Amino acid sequence: MLSLFLLAWLAGQGAASAAEQHVRAGLDARNQHQVDVEIAEFRKATELDPQLADAFYNLGAAYMEKRDYGAAIAPLKRTLELSPDLPAAHQLLGYALLAQGYAAEATPHLEKVGAQDALAIAQLETGHLSDAVTNFNAALAKRPNDPDLLYYLGHASGLLSKSAIDALISAHPESARAHEALAENYFVLRQMPQAEKEYQEALRIRPDLPGLHLELGQVYANSAQWPKAEDEFRAEAKLQPGKAEAAYRLGAALLQQGKAQEALAELKRSNGLKTDMPETLYSLGKAGSLTGDAATAEKSWTRVVELEKDTSLAAQAHFGLAGLYRKQGKAPQAQHEMQEFQKLQGTIGPPRSE
Amino acid sequence: MAATAPIFEVKPLRGIDFILQNSPTPQKYLIETMPGGVALLDYNNDGLLDIFFVNGGRIANPLHVPENFDRGNSKYWNRLYRQNPDGSFTDVTQAAGLAVAGNGNYGMGVAVGDYDNDGYPDLYVTSYGRNILYHNNGDGTFTDVTAKAGVAAGGWSVSAGFVDYDNDGHLDLFVTRYMDWDADHNKICGGDWHTYCPPAVFPATTCVLYRNRGDGTFEDISERSGIAAKKGRALGVCFADYDGDGFTDIFVANDGMQQFLFHNNGNGTFTECALESGAGLTSDGKGLSGMGTVFQDYDNDGRPDILVTELPRELYALYHNDGQGSFSYQSLESGLGALTSGSSGWGIGLEDFDNDGWKDLFVAQSHVLDNVERIDASLRYKELPLVALNHHGRFERVESGATSPLAGRGAAFGDINNDGWIDAVVTTLGGPPVLLLNRGGQGNHWLSLTLRGTHSNRDGYGARVQVNGQTRFATSAGSYVCANDKRLHFGLGSSERATIEILWPSGQKQVLNDVRADQFLEVREPER
Repeated sequence: MLSLFLLAWLAGQGAASAAEQHVRAGLDARNQHQVDVEIAEFRKATELDPQLADAFYNLGAAYMEKRDYGAAIAPLKRTLELSPDLPAAHQLLGYALLAQGYAAEATPHLEKVGAQDALAIAQLETGHLSDAVTNFNAALAKRPNDPDLLYYLGHASGLLSKSAIDALISAHPESARAHEALAENYFVLRQMPQAEKEYQEALRIRPDLPGLHLELGQVYANSAQWPKAEDEFRAEAKLQPGKAEAAYRLGAALLQQGKAQEALAELKRSNGLKTDMPETLYSLGKAGSLTGDAATAEKSWTRVVELEKDTSLAAQAHFGLAGLYRKQGKAPQAQHEMQEFQKLQGTIGPPRSE
Repeated sequence: MAATAPIFEVKPLRGIDFILQNSPTPQKYLIETMPGGVALLDYNNDGLLDIFFVNGGRIANPLHVPENFDRGNSKYWNRLYRQNPDGSFTDVTQAAGLAVAGNGNYGMGVAVGDYDNDGYPDLYVTSYGRNILYHNNGDGTFTDVTAKAGVAAGGWSVSAGFVDYDNDGHLDLFVTRYMDWDADHNKICGGDWHTYCPPAVFPATTCVLYRNRGDGTFEDISERSGIAAKKGRALGVCFADYDGDGFTDIFVANDGMQQFLFHNNGNGTFTECALESGAGLTSDGKGLSGMGTVFQDYDNDGRPDILVTELPRELYALYHNDGQGSFSYQSLESGLGALTSGSSGWGIGLEDFDNDGWKDLFVAQSHVLDNVERIDASLRYKELPLVALNHHGRFERVESGATSPLAGRGAAFGDINNDGWIDAVVTTLGGPPVLLLNRGGQGNHWLSLTLRGTHSNRDGYGARVQVNGQTRFATSAGSYVCANDKRLHFGLGSSERATIEILWPSGQKQVLNDVRADQFLEVREPER
């Protein structure tokens, strides 16, 4: 009897040793980027020793490396059965489940290891939008400007916003905010008559709600109804005299109608409220040019060029300066600005009409 | 102050049954949305303006090159209507020998000028296909002299105009061409919406300049003159001597890009200088969807300015001639910003509709896309014409008198009923032309001049004519695909007398003092 136990123990020791050898071979293959050999070795190890967590983990990792996420799930789950607190296994299993569309199942694993980026995606998928936005922001703090994270954050924020708006419209359909929200949707869809109607209804309910006149003004501006746009922007500027955008939009609407002196005053006011806004400065330059205030035009457009350097707005400012200098008979300066304009056209393409 | 009553009233064109057959198809061939021209001319010299219309043609669905456009079918003929003394019109197309528009030619526009100085206006018809020069035989008939004259052009011609660019007394011919396009290379844009493509989808091409040899033949000098050095997407064309050097310059309205200003160097060559002179782009340095154009002095400073019609979201461009060969973009200052940013303009005229001494604005309007309303609910396919009175250089909209929106394209201007007030004829896609008859009768005086060149070309095209401080450059070209009454109309306001100063293309100056108002006057260039 004893001999039988000894034989069994010895056999087990041999299997464990053989399994570990396959694990080592698998790791060697990994170093040589031979992923299929790697998988074969780790698989052999798991077959020889079904209790060897290391072998299951590495097999799962090898499948992940091969982007065979479906195949990775089972060995990673087995790893965690054998070694429940292994963080790396939780992380890989979370990723694998997420990649396979099992966001809810992935969430606890990702939470366990604090993988904020993947966790946020899982939360986005499962409709936990607020948590998702929080985690995307946290992940972005570590990897600023990551295009994937920025995309997901935008997507999650949009859905969160939509969800809140849906709740608003459902709970308070006749509120000014509900009409405003509907109007914004119509505006995005370029359904201007409907947008106009909803904004007007919102204004009827709450005439003093900040932002409504500004948005309605943009509906009118979009359809080139400049006198109406002017009225709305003016109302907003009166409501919020400290809001630079209202002054800018009012100035731009005045400019479109050729009311250059009024536009100049309003754009100067906007620039005073919020300095160095390139669009405001560009329009201020135009207003200056139109009113014969060459100094303002030159100063504003020069500042646009300084701020924007090689954008299309900078190109436009160069073009404006060229016209200004040509009118003043300053041929060399005009030529220089025209060359700068053409240079930028060459790099960023010709400015297109809207 | 803006007048409250409409300037015009829509009147039936009695005897005119023309329908502009543009033949729209689901294939959205770009040619479908571009015709068609109208000319106001007195082809038989009876003192009454006659009307010539250019037709499109039948477009098969789908169309395959070569396509004949079924121009032998009377439905697709161009049409000449002779005005009768009672104001009605008679279709004289067949009798005049104009019924054969040439299979394979989808019609676009028309130019009018007496290219052989025989005293009778000749016709040049542009097409997608082959252009045709019809010589006016002086007996009510015309003869196709294209082959002999050598002016068929080919490709896709749109607008054209007669101009004496070298001041040799013979009218030359300038032809705009839109793009390299044919049905086999057509594209449909707009995704599910299926729309006509923007011009940039197709390759640009060159305009054509023909020099009149004076013997009934023309020479293609596009290359030699420098005109062909620039490729564009040209639609409209207009002429004036913008820098006062005695040679007529050429402005070309290009679609979706920079405009062209061909400065006449006076030696048979041209230099394209739109960008340098400030007449190439908007004030924001952006390209324009240039379509129709006119080159006349809107602010009575004696220098010709340029107006260009465009698509919505752009403003009709007004390039003010600042002198010294320089222009500045003044659409906003002139009030055009508020009037035009939501509209699409084609044919355009700067004429003194209220005879107050300031040239007013008329634009035939309609979007280029016939389904634009499905794409953008804030835009309209059919629009009312724009009529804006000129108040000392600032335009203010007045009612046009048209009550129904139109798919307007061409617009030609002239005094159709010889009452001293300028009228307009608008062509509409798929529909009949619309006559907008000037209501007149506001007490202002006027003067209408017909130039008779002797050393200069007989039509006097290119002459600079100044009357009581106003200036006109003699031409029948301008607008879009159209030819205007060649008579030079001046509103005189309350003045009952006028002083006329003419600078003929020959260089001769002529002054007529104390001329009575309210008359049609022929002025003959003095013999040297």
